[in-house]
Amino acid sequence: MTHVVSCEGIWKSYERHRAVGLKSLLVGAETPRSDTRFAREWALSEVSLRVPRGQAYGVIGPNGSGKTTLLSILLGTVRADRGRLSLDGRVGSLLELGAGFHGDLSGRENVFLYGSILGMRVAEIRRRFDAIAEFSELDSAIEQPLRTYSAGMKARLGFSIIIRSQADILLIDEVLAVGDTRFQAKCRLALREFRARGGTLIIVSHDMKELAEVCDEGLCLDLGRVVDAGPIAGVIARYGERMEGARSRA
Amino acid sequence: MPASGRSLPQLAELLYLLAHKELKARYKNSVLGYLWALANPMAFAFVYWIAFKFIMRMDVENYSLYLITGIFPWVWLSTGVISATRSFVVNASLIKKVPLPRAILPLGNVAQEMVHFIFALPVIVAFLWFAGAISPFASWAWQLPVMLALQVAFVYPLALGLALANVYVRDIEYLVGIGFSLMFFATPMVYPVSMVPEAYRRYFELNPLHALMDSWRSVLLNGSLDLGHVAHAAAFAAVVGAVAWLLHRKLAPRIGELV
Repeated sequence: MTHVVSCEGIWKSYERHRAVGLKSLLVGAETPRSDTRFAREWALSEVSLRVPRGQAYGVIGPNGSGKTTLLSILLGTVRADRGRLSLDGRVGSLLELGAGFHGDLSGRENVFLYGSILGMRVAEIRRRFDAIAEFSELDSAIEQPLRTYSAGMKARLGFSIIIRSQADILLIDEVLAVGDTRFQAKCRLALREFRARGGTLIIVSHDMKELAEVCDEGLCLDLGRVVDAGPIAGVIARYGERMEGARSRA
Repeated sequence: MPASGRSLPQLAELLYLLAHKELKARYKNSVLGYLWALANPMAFAFVYWIAFKFIMRMDVENYSLYLITGIFPWVWLSTGVISATRSFVVNASLIKKVPLPRAILPLGNVAQEMVHFIFALPVIVAFLWFAGAISPFASWAWQLPVMLALQVAFVYPLALGLALANVYVRDIEYLVGIGFSLMFFATPMVYPVSMVPEAYRRYFELNPLHALMDSWRSVLLNGSLDLGHVAHAAAFAAVVGAVAWLLHRKLAPRIGELV
């Protein structure tokens, strides 16, 4: 089986945020505690995963377990300290829909700007523009400045660009489906088509029902370590038990 | 798609769209729009002309032309560097969420200010021509692209280096603003270098900003490239360029987690 995404032994440590400057001189610097859940030394330790082409892979875990860090490393916006990483194909991200949108530009202009930010040529965006506009269902609003859009409209536009771009691998952080119920169904359908075409999905979410429905396999992170991996149903079930156990201990 | 997989034409398009975005955002709901790119430096020049020529009676030949030919490139330099210094910080969401060749962000600010300058250029030339300072265009027009290239080579590494440093120490964006205010008067901009007392003049001559500004004046006022000053400015650009390149290699991969 060909793996389009594989990483082996990823380690990542964020430099401890050290307060320097006048403020800490005046109010006194607090020494950060080093072993709490949110201030540990390694954000990720020894994380490995392999995802074959066309698979949907879920990443679960409690807040601060390193899920977003893992996606950022896969995307390339954060660099791992150690480990091997390989992604085979064009990567698109739904880490934040519309990062880079500008309120004073029209929907149309934002499609071109965002598409270019994602790495598309203008000619390519022009070819895909009608498909993007059609998917978003924004109609004539696409000529209006983005600041007149509701949050749902912005998310629609962002999702439409991503899903109609030529990505082979999509990284998704909690934005599996956007907009109203009907548009959400449309997003799910589009993601299914994306996979049918051989696209690969990596999804971070807390919505277990959604993940169980979409994903084939997955892993569970806790304190930056992979504590569980395998077929998604089992990973979700054991995650539930673990959380239940943590609650009864507390 | 990985940042390294981008082609040069793709980056050029991205640069164009980024600069276009900034320009469009700046002039939304403004009646005069791009004319402000002209009005702002002109107003500065006028204020200095009143203060130094009219009130203090400074004896400089063609003082208004001297002011105008310096102030326009200066505004490009200073506003470009000042806005670029903040470019990584204000585009934090882009840097965190999209794999982007990060060095293009400050370049976008520099390009945007270049567009302003190019837009103002015909008016400056018309003004000079009207005042009889230079011969009609054609013979020296080739010098303008040389100067534009020199200015970009000078401004961009400065902007990139400061933008990177500003991610680590946010005080830099404040220091840069103050620095340019001071340098405006420490560089012969409202007075010619010949008015500086002889004992100090050679220190003023060492200032690479002076070399760059005087190159512009030489082209715009005399229609000739001052090769000494051009070489001086280019040498400075090369040194800053090397430093900025090293900083970029060392610091850029980490800014995703710092902004």
